[in-house]
Amino acid sequence: MTKRAARLFFFISTLVSALIFTVLTIDSHRQFPKLTNAAAIDERVIAGKHVWHRQNCTNCHTLLGEGAYYAPDLTKITTQRGAPYLREFLKDPSKFYSEARDGRLMPTLKMTDKEIEDVIAFLGWISRIDTQGWPPRPILVRGSAVPGVAAALGVPPGQAVSQDPIEQGRAAYNATPPGCAACHSVAPGVNIVGPSLAGISATATTRIKSPDYKGKAKDAAGYIRESIVEPNAHVLTGPTYAAGGRSLMPGDYGQTLKPEQIDQIVAYLLTLQ
Amino acid sequence: MRYQSQRVAYPYFVVALLLFGLQMAFGLLAAAKYLGPDPLLNVLPFDVVKAIHTNLLLVWLLTGFMGAAYYLVPEESRVELHSVRLAYVQLAIWTAMGVTAVVGYVFRWTAGNKLLEQPFPLKIVIVIVMLMFLYNLGMTIHAGGRLTTTEGVLVAGLACTALLYLPALFEFDNYTVSVFYRWWTVHLWVEGVWEMIQGSLLAFLLIRLSGVDREVLEKWLYVIVGLTFISGILGTAHHYYWIGVPRYWLPIGGFFSALEPFVFLAMAMYAYYAIRRSGFSHPNRMALHWTVGSAIFSALGAGLLGLAHTWPAVNKWTHGTLITPMHGHMAFFGAYVMIVLGMITYALPGLTGRSEDARETSANFWSFWLQITGMFGMTMAFAAAGITQTYLERILSLGYLETQLKLQVHFLMLVVAGIVFVIGVALFLWDFFFLAGRPVTVPARAEPTPARSPAV
Repeated sequence: MTKRAARLFFFISTLVSALIFTVLTIDSHRQFPKLTNAAAIDERVIAGKHVWHRQNCTNCHTLLGEGAYYAPDLTKITTQRGAPYLREFLKDPSKFYSEARDGRLMPTLKMTDKEIEDVIAFLGWISRIDTQGWPPRPILVRGSAVPGVAAALGVPPGQAVSQDPIEQGRAAYNATPPGCAACHSVAPGVNIVGPSLAGISATATTRIKSPDYKGKAKDAAGYIRESIVEPNAHVLTGPTYAAGGRSLMPGDYGQTLKPEQIDQIVAYLLTLQ
Repeated sequence: MRYQSQRVAYPYFVVALLLFGLQMAFGLLAAAKYLGPDPLLNVLPFDVVKAIHTNLLLVWLLTGFMGAAYYLVPEESRVELHSVRLAYVQLAIWTAMGVTAVVGYVFRWTAGNKLLEQPFPLKIVIVIVMLMFLYNLGMTIHAGGRLTTTEGVLVAGLACTALLYLPALFEFDNYTVSVFYRWWTVHLWVEGVWEMIQGSLLAFLLIRLSGVDREVLEKWLYVIVGLTFISGILGTAHHYYWIGVPRYWLPIGGFFSALEPFVFLAMAMYAYYAIRRSGFSHPNRMALHWTVGSAIFSALGAGLLGLAHTWPAVNKWTHGTLITPMHGHMAFFGAYVMIVLGMITYALPGLTGRSEDARETSANFWSFWLQITGMFGMTMAFAAAGITQTYLERILSLGYLETQLKLQVHFLMLVVAGIVFVIGVALFLWDFFFLAGRPVTVPARAEPTPARSPAV
């Protein structure tokens, strides 16, 4: 090869590559509105994006898998935890996590209520972007999809780090007794002996409105409480969920758990959006 | 060194190395935070430290490139630099920009966009500095009337660096679109036009150090840069897999970025070929070490470790884990840090008015090996952590926080290897500032030196 031929190779290959790249970029723009649900980008989402940047979130967290690797990925966080919980968390992360127990703690950012609402709206919009099936399995902040894995690896669920009812409830849910986590995963789509409780807050709200619903609950909190205390009030069908129209879940939690423990577990489960 | 005005490279190298040293402090701090607990949580949290660590890297490497270009262009075009004064003014503004950015991050003045955190006014300053720089180089080449392939590729790489920074000035309401164009700057810099810069510096150093025929090396430089763009431009797609873009970017990213290792392999073979022809006969043996080291380490870090997680079916599981910094650390070190240190080591005897073999280089020698060892250890620590994280967090769906607790031993190794690396960097700085001697002063208006017969 002569130097001239090498130069020609350089110019032509660069030009062709750049041309293909440009065409694909134009086509991507054509598809962005649908893939990213762009119609849903309102003032609040845009304001939330500014909060995301202003607070430098991306230099600890990842979003769409991009950013830093010091804190959890937040792409799907709003499909895992409800806005009320995220609001409480952002006001004071130390109510739910501690460096001593978890190794990491997010600093309190002193955001205004509006900033918090905005960034939650932004993350909500992000969660609905078509990411071509990523992540293939839910990325959890804490816990494990299959109960027991964390404990087996030597990372037990740990004591509550504050008196906050949600945090107390999380600890109680994972403790044995009562052993809720032995049968119910909180990861989406992971049904073990009992059904996954991911999104139970939203599921309960729709379920009580269904004509098939036989129980007495009026809202999601009531439904969850009823399911704990009186598992047969409304029975789900599933090979390991029920037999002969009776739930296979122990029926004595109303007696073995203290009333405030039930309140706390309900408060925790309500955060699972 | 043949031209007085080449000495303007010296203050650029001074700034570059000081910022390199500062980058190390923040790197060690960030690594220590992985081990936790963090006493500085509310004073200097991880995000600030990380932004400073990466921004200092970009700023000092660019400073090094600028110094290298000011050293290289007069020599290639056989003419004094157009304006030494402008080069000084440029350095002053650039340094002020860099320092302001770092101090700003501490006080949370940030654009919060990964690697492009520079607030908008500073971005404008960067554009102005780049224009001053390119003007000075352009006028120099124009005055010389001679444009070699080596400097042509270098200047084109620098000009494209400036051009590709422009998308960073725009803001998009759609986060996906903003990420899409962020990679036009970040990816097309480090896996595109910066490789032009690396390739041309490599060619320059190999021509000088090995004495292999310029025509041969420049011919292959074209081939390398051509391969860079075939794989690099469409290889941008490997950043697009999961961010809300059409599905066709997945196979495109997989295919073209799988070609990227060939670029680095070609560079390594290129250096090997040149050195095999001549042996380690050049008196500045340490410059040779850094030059060949850059070619080999970038083949490992950017080529092989990039390939390790670039295929969509693999990346689906590793995306957003510590596998990325595994690749990032060794790639940046091999491709850009080592070539800049090579350029500095090559230019230093001339800049300090000595003959090429007139100084003791054992500090530089130890610096080289400690940096190699430290970086290798850090890469291994990130690799072990990243693979474990992928299995525990992504495959077994263990929580992020529980997984991080299981990675502590690797973070410990990261800190230890980091300390070894930092000792290597400290030795380089010590050698540069205290052993190499003072620079020969530069007159603001350089008098042309009597023409000497060009060696090659």
